[in-house]
Amino acid sequence: MTKKIVIVLAVLACLTGAGRAAAQTPITDADLKAAVKPTDRTNGDPDGSLTGTANDIAIADAKAGLTVADVLNQIGANRIGVNFAWTLLCGFLIMFMQAGFAVVEAGLCRAKNANHTMMMNFMVYGVGMLAYFLIGFPLQMGGAGAVANLGGSPVLNSEFTFHLFGKDIGLFGNTGYLLMHHGTYDVAVMVIFLFQMVFMDTTTTIVTGTCCERWKYAAFMVSTMFLGAFTYPIFANWAWGGGWLAMLGSNFGLGHGYADFAGSGVVHSVGGITALACALILGPRIGKYTRDGKPNAIPGHDIMWVLCGCFILAFGWFGFNPGSTLAMSGNGGLRAASVAVNTMLAGMTGSFGGILYMWIRYGKPDASMSGNAFLAGLVAITAPSGFVNPIASAIIGLIAGVLVCVSCEFIERVLKIDDPVGAISVHGTNGLWGVIAVGLFADGKSNYGGSWNGVNGNVTGLFYGDAGQLVAQLMGVATLLGFVFVLSFAFNLFVDWFVGQRVSAKSELAGLDIPEMGALAYPDFVLKTESEMVA
Amino acid sequence: MTLVGLVVTFLGFVIAFVSLGVSGSTGVRMAMVLAGIVVSLIGIMGVMTPAYQKTWIFKR
Repeated sequence: MTKKIVIVLAVLACLTGAGRAAAQTPITDADLKAAVKPTDRTNGDPDGSLTGTANDIAIADAKAGLTVADVLNQIGANRIGVNFAWTLLCGFLIMFMQAGFAVVEAGLCRAKNANHTMMMNFMVYGVGMLAYFLIGFPLQMGGAGAVANLGGSPVLNSEFTFHLFGKDIGLFGNTGYLLMHHGTYDVAVMVIFLFQMVFMDTTTTIVTGTCCERWKYAAFMVSTMFLGAFTYPIFANWAWGGGWLAMLGSNFGLGHGYADFAGSGVVHSVGGITALACALILGPRIGKYTRDGKPNAIPGHDIMWVLCGCFILAFGWFGFNPGSTLAMSGNGGLRAASVAVNTMLAGMTGSFGGILYMWIRYGKPDASMSGNAFLAGLVAITAPSGFVNPIASAIIGLIAGVLVCVSCEFIERVLKIDDPVGAISVHGTNGLWGVIAVGLFADGKSNYGGSWNGVNGNVTGLFYGDAGQLVAQLMGVATLLGFVFVLSFAFNLFVDWFVGQRVSAKSELAGLDIPEMGALAYPDFVLKTESEMVA
Repeated sequence: MTLVGLVVTFLGFVIAFVSLGVSGSTGVRMAMVLAGIVVSLIGIMGVMTPAYQKTWIFKR
């Protein structure tokens, strides 16, 4: 009863706009008369009905007792607390994806390179995070503005822009250095940093898969540092940090601007396209192609870890996509349920698409491609997950499952680029497909506070009447291919000149565990020679 | 050829970006952005990849 009175008082205060005077109105003893008292719990509270009452509302002034202001503050704190908890927990889930990537990539490489591949995946977390902490985060989020779902902290407010075509074009953020700069020692900023950091680390770990079995460890560290400090944060700023891609809607009338709910483009395409740039520079592994360019299959050493890793990744994806609401309370937070189901469905149809394609084409349901198709469905739904309905999700995933198989064949046989884990196809190709899918399938039913990227209304794709949204998405694709690729390639070319990207042929033939890491992953195993592997 | 490929790839991005200032028409912008994507793909797959293939180990 008391709780009802308190709530009624709070609502009345809000509706009448009574302001400070009403907000300070003390709640009387009569209001609290029916409240549960601490003594009522002397016999415990087995059904939970005595726990969580008016007694638990934080009081600002003990002398004044419980006031309407206290109740209103508690309501606000509860909402933001729920959103903090949700976003942090989802961030922790995403962090665990590092383990999934590690075992998928290590399982798909040969046993003689397992320690090296695992160590790349292990240190990508630390190297990437260091770069992001020092440089990347301010560049990405320094001008992002207040995130209402996380308390609306206004301190991330400095975006470097230049004036072109009559508009301000946002290029990068410029505050938040070391999480101390200009008031960014702030709880909301910490949540944003943690959540964005694990996204960035996902990008960096994509590259290690494509480059495994021939990448010099020192070159990997320098390359990862650049990706975490510059390449990823710059594109992420343009898409999520208030940069020019996000503003395509408000500045140029293209739908709601570039919309990438959880990062098919920002996370996966940036990783996949950087992997493509590095793979070009590195070249294929010894024995991958014959002298006339025919590809040889080089099987991974542990398919069980590969498929187990896919499940770990799929589990982490429930942090990736639903967590990108940044809320469970208010501004469309409950839409997280729809996002989670869309994610499940696309993963399911992706695996079906891949397994059926391989079965029909080669007569067997290939295990590693089934895993890749599962991941491809998840990658493709990452951008649209917040904007599409379940049927569209299933279609997007199914197309992704087939597309990843076709892309792997094209990259291996036509481009003759060696990608041991298929990361370019899984993350690059299907990341781009996911970005385009938003512009096609977004149904206009999502509602994240009435607007997206500063444009009123909901994101709507071509099939639901907004061709401008598709143009905004294609602009993102053009930027990924024409800018991100060039930036990644140019930097990695410098690394190749000054550090050298590729290990020696002798080290590669021996396996990188001893030459690069000094220890075998499996010291008790008898490893096959190179000629036995190729035969 | 690597440098040429990089320039062509970047040119694709420039074509797409310039569409923002050239026209307010969604159709024109879409055509230019698609053209930019094609140019970038030609730069990556048609120029840079063949140039790099010549240096790869199975070609030596």
